[in-house]
Amino acid sequence: MSGPIIEVEGLAKEYRRPVRVEGPLGGLRSLLSPRHVTKRAVDGVSFALAEGELVGYLGPNGAGKSTTIKMLTGILRPTAGLVRVAGLVPWRERERHARNIGVVFGQRTQLWWDLPLRDSLELIGRLYGVERARHRATTARFTELLGLGPFLDTPVRQLSLGQRMRGDLAAAMLPEPRILFLDEPTIGLDVVAKERIRDFIATRNRRDGTTIVLTTHDLDDVERLCRRIVLIDDGRVLYDGDVARLKERYAPHRRLVVQLADGAGWHGVRVPGVARDDEADDAPGQVTLRFDPAGTRVADVITAVLARHEVTDLSLVEPGLEGVVHRIYAARGAA
Amino acid sequence: MTSPRGLAPPRLTLRQRAVAHAGTAGLHARAQLAYRADFVFRVLWLLLQVYLLALVWRAVYPESGTAPAHGGQQVTLATQLAYVTYASVQNWLLTPAGLAPTPIPQRVREGSIAVDLSRPVAFTTQMLAAQGGIVLAAAPFAVLALPFAVVAGGARAPASAGAASAYALSLVPAVLNALLLAVVVSMVSFWTLEAVGVFMIHRVVAHFFAGALIPLWFMPSWLADLAQLLPFQTTTYTPIALYLGHIHGTGPVLTALAVQCGWTAALWLIMRLVWARALHRVVVQGG
Ligand SMILES: Nc1ncnc2c1ncn2[C@@H]1O[C@H](COP(=O)(O)OP(=O)(O)OP(=O)(O)O)[C@@H](O)[C@H]1O
Ligand SMILES: [Mg+2]
Repeated sequence: MSGPIIEVEGLAKEYRRPVRVEGPLGGLRSLLSPRHVTKRAVDGVSFALAEGELVGYLGPNGAGKSTTIKMLTGILRPTAGLVRVAGLVPWRERERHARNIGVVFGQRTQLWWDLPLRDSLELIGRLYGVERARHRATTARFTELLGLGPFLDTPVRQLSLGQRMRGDLAAAMLPEPRILFLDEPTIGLDVVAKERIRDFIATRNRRDGTTIVLTTHDLDDVERLCRRIVLIDDGRVLYDGDVARLKERYAPHRRLVVQLADGAGWHGVRVPGVARDDEADDAPGQVTLRFDPAGTRVADVITAVLARHEVTDLSLVEPGLEGVVHRIYAARGAA
Repeated sequence: MTSPRGLAPPRLTLRQRAVAHAGTAGLHARAQLAYRADFVFRVLWLLLQVYLLALVWRAVYPESGTAPAHGGQQVTLATQLAYVTYASVQNWLLTPAGLAPTPIPQRVREGSIAVDLSRPVAFTTQMLAAQGGIVLAAAPFAVLALPFAVVAGGARAPASAGAASAYALSLVPAVLNALLLAVVVSMVSFWTLEAVGVFMIHRVVAHFFAGALIPLWFMPSWLADLAQLLPFQTTTYTPIALYLGHIHGTGPVLTALAVQCGWTAALWLIMRLVWARALHRVVVQGG
């Protein structure tokens, strides 16, 4: 099939929530003549994904990420706009659509609380009409990849968060869906658990060609997994494109951190385009320089520094996504 | 892949859906067994109820040992005690333990409803299957409790072979109607999370109008008429009255079975209607 597997155009979602009437008999009056407030959580979002892409869907708290995911998975019906996932309109053909997708909501579980993990995984096979032998083989493979073996027979309620999340990820992928939606799959996990989950996600995308939409507040997830991000705020798209290009656009500067030898003073460098970084938090004897690699060669800066100073250490710092995103959120706050 | 790339998969086939629902029921049945100790107390509660009801009926029954019911039929004390015993056990089996009639309110509160909606099978049938599993888990305990209940209350053989088969037949819509009623009532939680009061009222009304405390034949006639108009009697009173031969003769037996099945169809439709409204709330208003 050619053309995008996920198409979103002018997507909007308004929540209408009843407000409690204040004053005497407030509860009763709210019940009889409810008043509502409307919140536009998603406000005209458009993007398209090709099959096999792994895109990070980012934004600050309350930006509308989960709301978008819920519309893409058919759990919510858009107030306006168009969604098409693998040729289907999710909310209209929910049951067919469900056979195309896997979902992980990091904040809740799709596993059955009172029973061993094994039972949940087995039921997933039946719920999705997966053929027995195939389901057994996939379960064995994922058990190995995610290291589920030691707690397959433990009731889900007794699993640690990291174990439970791995179980949830296995459950979402067991029917081998074409598209996987992950809403904060690494929330609250330690570095080892995160790494394991990232590995699994990356492999599903690379090896099985699964299209993945990933929501997270952990930008290491994004650096490690995504080439492309869609950044939203207040229900609108702020940026859609390469991670690398985003950094160029919002943080074009590199930094060179110079550690001067004991007692040595700083005499400056006379290279055009190089300046001391006043945002940097320099320790004594440390100097941070800022320059744009598009106009200034790194080698020239280093040569100039070494020509006039006694230096014990030099390090070149690439802009991190963390800083970039921080800058974007901060700019939005100021505007 | 479940389907060739590029082609949207069809809905699950009927067979696949049957497997899915059987799996859901089995899983919920097993989950119930985590509360085995709770079943012991629930069985004690049941036996206590049978014992107390039998005590009252023995005390209030006329010396002659028979009492007139609606339509001039005579009901013997032995029949009455058997009714109390069987009706209590059957109603106990079909009435889940928790305050809420099904797991739906909890799923709405915790937001697990989002998970249920992302499954390739309909929400309503998933919940019916889950509830069916919960009832299934209680069945062995009901069977174990029965002999003790008989000692506390009373017993009678089925009135005839025909009565026995009518009972067996009527059990199917009785169970279905109990499940449907539970699902319909617990969908209130899509409108309000504070539905405990509604569930308590439902519990009392259902228990009473099912005939679990007093058979319809001894209710004041206006109350019996009202009970006849409600679906609850089809879960308990109808099957036991058939078993004991209180409803007898081809015409009345077939009518009773038809009324049960009519309620099954009606409750199914009601469930679909209520669900359509509830779904609208969830997907349009965001819960
Ligand atoms: N069911 C609801 N009813 C009313 N308002 C809601 C509902 N769900 C979300 N909202 C509001 O919609 C906005 C977007 O919420 P959403 O959960 O999509 O954000 P998010 O980007 O996922 O945030 P987070 O990073 O905190 O998970 C928020 O302002 C939130 O308060
Ligand atoms: Mg969210």
